[in-house]
Amino acid sequence: MTTATLGQRAFLGLEKFFNTFFGERLNPFYHLGAIAYFLLWIVIFTGLYLYIFFETSVVQAYASVEALTHGQRWVGGVLRSLHRYASDALVLVIALHMLRHFAFNRHRGFRWFSWVSGVVILWLTYASGINGYMLPWDRLSQFVVTATTEWFDVLPVLGGSMARNFISNANVSDRLFSLLSFIHIGLPLGVMTVLWIHTQRVPGAKTNPPRPLMLGWLATLTALSLWRPALSQAPADMATMVSRLDFDWFYLPTYALIQHWGPANTWYLVLGATGLLLVLPWLPQRAGAKPKAWSMAAHPDERIVAVRAGETLLDAGLREGMALPFDCRNGGCGVCKCTLLHGEVALLPYQESALSAAERSAGQTLLCCAQALSDVEIDYVPQAGVKPLAVKQYVARVTQRELLAADVMRLLLQVEGGRRLAFHPGQYINIVLADAAKRSYSFATAPDAGGDIELHVRRVEGGRFSSAVFEHLSVGDTLRFEGPLGAFTLREDSDKPIIFVAGSTGFAPVKSMLEHAFAIGMQRHMILYWGVRSRRDLYLGELAEQWAREHANFRFVPVLSAPLPEDQWRGRSGLVHQAILEDFPDLSAHQVYACGSVQMVQAAQPAFAQHGLAGDDCFSDAFHLAPQRPLQGQDADLVQLGGTHG
Amino acid sequence: MVKPLPMALRYALQALAYLGFAVVIGYFSTGPAYRQLGDNEAVLKLSFSHSGQLKFACHERAAAELAKLQPNMRNKMDCPRERALVRVELDMDGLPLYRVSTAPLGLQKDGAATVYRRLSIPAGAHHFSARLADGPDGAINYAKEIRVDLRPGQVIIVDFLTGSGGFVFTRG
Repeated sequence: MTTATLGQRAFLGLEKFFNTFFGERLNPFYHLGAIAYFLLWIVIFTGLYLYIFFETSVVQAYASVEALTHGQRWVGGVLRSLHRYASDALVLVIALHMLRHFAFNRHRGFRWFSWVSGVVILWLTYASGINGYMLPWDRLSQFVVTATTEWFDVLPVLGGSMARNFISNANVSDRLFSLLSFIHIGLPLGVMTVLWIHTQRVPGAKTNPPRPLMLGWLATLTALSLWRPALSQAPADMATMVSRLDFDWFYLPTYALIQHWGPANTWYLVLGATGLLLVLPWLPQRAGAKPKAWSMAAHPDERIVAVRAGETLLDAGLREGMALPFDCRNGGCGVCKCTLLHGEVALLPYQESALSAAERSAGQTLLCCAQALSDVEIDYVPQAGVKPLAVKQYVARVTQRELLAADVMRLLLQVEGGRRLAFHPGQYINIVLADAAKRSYSFATAPDAGGDIELHVRRVEGGRFSSAVFEHLSVGDTLRFEGPLGAFTLREDSDKPIIFVAGSTGFAPVKSMLEHAFAIGMQRHMILYWGVRSRRDLYLGELAEQWAREHANFRFVPVLSAPLPEDQWRGRSGLVHQAILEDFPDLSAHQVYACGSVQMVQAAQPAFAQHGLAGDDCFSDAFHLAPQRPLQGQDADLVQLGGTHG
Repeated sequence: MVKPLPMALRYALQALAYLGFAVVIGYFSTGPAYRQLGDNEAVLKLSFSHSGQLKFACHERAAAELAKLQPNMRNKMDCPRERALVRVELDMDGLPLYRVSTAPLGLQKDGAATVYRRLSIPAGAHHFSARLADGPDGAINYAKEIRVDLRPGQVIIVDFLTGSGGFVFTRG
């Protein structure tokens, strides 16, 4: 866990205390944004009611508010008080919400937009509230309009002309008063607009707090409204000034400063503070590793998504439509717990109750607090009842069929519309058949290569798709597929030498990875062991030999398990993983990427582990026959583990 | 693992938390009271918007001057628009209360000079003397004196209206 700052410790301590009686799900500190939304709705709905009875004329305004307050004590009076107190609570909650994000450093990097829009919301809320105090036309209204106009009048263009509008009772016209009322509609509309934009940028943002919290807040504000109803002060009279005012310190402290420091100094303070708030996301932070962008492979989605610098894994996944489980988003409830299969994360401060030390050492982590320090791979239980975004589907046209071996066909596919598909080397696509059954095939070219999608299809006796590829499919035919999918990809965040283990058409994803490694100039030592039965199965052996000639850091070792006499084989024979173990009795300093049959992968993995290969350095993808079909049956086909196979 | 609190206690503590919140909102929504004026103070508001005299007199352009101008700009009379500063002096009981010189508004400095100032003054009887200069020479050309008795909290407005002969003192 990253070291908690003083602010973080303060929040964590408070939240821990509140957890003891609110529980992790209902702790208000975990729902500050949603509570602010709820309070705004209270303000808006009560405001609409008040507006029905409010007279927008300077003569009638005070009387209409008084009639509303006292004439309909149990409706208008309560709603007026709710309007006032919810507005006050709104400022408090917005301030706490921003303070928490600041304390936890969640205002930097890509979050700058949310932060800056939050500052705009805060100021618009202030402007709305202050404008609201002008409307009852009591002594406080008089103070507020006078102070506001005096404040604006120090600006060069205005120079004293605004205050003249309120200098005497005769100067305040009904038209001017109607304008103030109109502003009180316009500003809250502005708040709602910016709030909508602010929320749209937060993936999976919850805009409603849990129902018990809503009830708690509403009941509290209603009780307060009954206990201390919001009342008007004496009617405004520009001919006199009262010495003391009942003052709303949530909205008006700036106005006290205007009186004491003068309008100009208050402008400097407000503009300075606003400027500081706006640049906070870009101010240098304490020394430490600068966050970088990484990728997250997730099971069971079998997808890889980008994780922006400083982004939590939860935000990254939600942004991409994954059904990641979450509730508090603040390391308090533990709902977003998942298993970290590979990679490193830094955890933002969280409650011990949400993730115990034992769980953490068992490889579990909190998605809402985890920031990637490398490419990561996670496994999680999707949120019940939430349908994840469907994997994108495409239509592609067959542009080439090429027989690479007696039972291996190279298919080239062009996505309709000439679109380029972004994928990671090692990922695969699902060919979607007419009855929605799926067959998985790996990309066989590097993502950077561009051009058509290349697949290596091995014929399986009785296989629906592979048989069709060999017997019926023609250039120009169209196929439907979904993807990219899969977490078996080349990790570029290590310096360790790589051993690629390919079995049969497991060569396809390895080819994709190797071509990508060559394209980016990867200097790590790489060696490919390609295990096949006989020489004719090395369907692109010449290409692998060419790579070995062209790249000093690459070696190619073909391994035949059952060479034919005509092969006149003098190379390595036997099982491919045994050949590797003979060459590398100690695998502790290597990474291994294995792709082939289930039997090959299942035999290789434990054997490699026994020879020192760390779990974090072993990546595999295994083919298996489509599970619902009997071997050699009509539907038998090769698919990959982890695919969304039917 | 910390043993959870009994449900009744949890609800009681939640109620207490809401109560604390209500007390904070309820109190700071109206208090503590803000004092904007001393108990024995009145208020003077000096406020006017007045265009000073033109700073320069019109003069007739010579033929050479006209020739230098674009054909559509060749007005025989040259009348600069810039107006003079407006200077105000306000004394109370023989002592200077406020002094200001205000430039006309506008890019060409041809607009009105606007002044607004709110001052707290002791309540009671006072003798005010106001003077204004709006010509290019800076000489005082308007003046008025008045004696008024102001109650605590009462506002007196000092305006300047040329049509009314200069300074206008209005008590609230």
